[in-house]
Amino acid sequence: MDLTTLFRAPPMDPLLKIVSGVPIFRECNRMELEALKLHLHERHFLAGEIVFDEGEEGEGMYVVIRGKLRANRKGRLGKKVLGVIQPGESFGEMALLGSGPRMATVVAEEDSTVLAMFRPELVALAQARPRLGFKIAMGVALVLELRLRRVAEGHSPEPSST
Amino acid sequence: MNAERTPERSLEHPIIWIAVIAGSLGSILLLKAVAWLAFPLILAVVLYYLVQPLLQRLQLAGVTPAQALGIFLGAAIILTLIFSLTLLPSMLSSLANFQDQIPTYWDRLQGVIRDNLLALEGRFAFAKNARLADSLQEQLNLFLAGAGKEYVADVALFLLHWLPSLLLVPFLTFFFLRDGTAFHRLVLRAVPNAFFEKTLLLFDRMDQQMRAYFRGMFGLTMLDTVSLGLGLWFLGHGAGIFGFWDAMALGLICAVFAWVPYIGSGLGGLLAVATVAVKAPQSSGLILAVVILFLGVRLLDEFLYTPITVGRALRMHPLITVMMIFSGGMLGGVYGLLLAMPLLGVFTVLGQMFAEIWFDPRLRARYHARGMLEKQLASKDLGI
Repeated sequence: MDLTTLFRAPPMDPLLKIVSGVPIFRECNRMELEALKLHLHERHFLAGEIVFDEGEEGEGMYVVIRGKLRANRKGRLGKKVLGVIQPGESFGEMALLGSGPRMATVVAEEDSTVLAMFRPELVALAQARPRLGFKIAMGVALVLELRLRRVAEGHSPEPSST
Repeated sequence: MNAERTPERSLEHPIIWIAVIAGSLGSILLLKAVAWLAFPLILAVVLYYLVQPLLQRLQLAGVTPAQALGIFLGAAIILTLIFSLTLLPSMLSSLANFQDQIPTYWDRLQGVIRDNLLALEGRFAFAKNARLADSLQEQLNLFLAGAGKEYVADVALFLLHWLPSLLLVPFLTFFFLRDGTAFHRLVLRAVPNAFFEKTLLLFDRMDQQMRAYFRGMFGLTMLDTVSLGLGLWFLGHGAGIFGFWDAMALGLICAVFAWVPYIGSGLGGLLAVATVAVKAPQSSGLILAVVILFLGVRLLDEFLYTPITVGRALRMHPLITVMMIFSGGMLGGVYGLLLAMPLLGVFTVLGQMFAEIWFDPRLRARYHARGMLEKQLASKDLGI
């Protein structure tokens, strides 16, 4: 028996591996991600199914695990496609800041699996573990800063600015 | 924002409020019908809400759910052992001393009641004609000789009937704590995607309602304790009957009794009056003052404390709070009195969320669209 295996940490849950790559959670360590895991809800969407609807109150954010989704926004000239969301990317982060209306409609382009994170659960987690709360808040701020820069530079915001 | 989206208006729909009140009162009747099971279930839910935040804190600190439960159970067993080995023997010996003194206390209490009734007879003709003191003495003697023994048997049978159900409490609490999260996730998994976010919100709000109710009950107990304790201390410290902490302890016991509305506070009042009567049998004025204190606190409790603590915790109008407590009491007796408010809180959230989903055509359209997608997939797969 290889005794060194006793001192090696067990391999990370594949779902957590994907979450750890999302910009908002990139600074979280393994223990923090494990705590986060308690609040992840896996949902499956069929191709063509709406994940959330522009204008509805947002209650949480999502991370794509499998499949492909599309973000649309109603414009004066009809629907405007904001972009495609791929595995490892997140969307709906604005809902972490408050239950304001969703800025876009997200539809599954193909059968997809996402992890949903509910705002009140994340807030409770952040209150119990302020260090983790700070990291998540900084992550959200970073994502928003990048988007503001893109808009200021004349680009359209990323599809995940929903 | 979509113009079609008007959930806030739907909350004011009268049918929803009628359904909320009917649901709460109907549940009281249902729980009364299965009281034997409902009683331990309710106690287990209360214990769950008291212990669960602690386990959640441990889990958020990086401990697994199973480890958190293990730590809690270990601590509970150790504390029980320490209590059994240290405090329990002295408490049992105090109880044995108290038991020896019961006849003396009983005689003193009887003496106080008799003296006061004789005083009444001396002052009022109707009391003298009714021979209040002698009648009460006869009734007490009859009760102790005959009916009292039957009551003791009834009480013993009642306890035998309820004890097995009480044994269910730790068992149920353990499974609520161990499998609560898994059950929560299982229920959520069954929720259609269209309603998922709203359902999560519903769970969160219900959880908050229950927590708020228990916090409200805690606040109510503290207010009752302070009011009664200060009142008893103010009345009794001059005569050397109560020290400050004795009065507060008696106030706390009476406040805990008051968890059973009406009956509980009556029992608490009797306990305090009996304590004063036993300690100062000659002070009939003091006994009267204690009775007035209890009536005053009872009124404060009913019309001020309950609406501002439990009522505010559940965000209910004080009028609805009082009406629900009375209606619950009429329909379900003690059960109804105890359960009216928490059930109303839970049904209010259910009603609000149902209205938000039911009156939102876009959510329903999304739900139906998913059904059509599933049908199309099945048809394609079957080649029809």
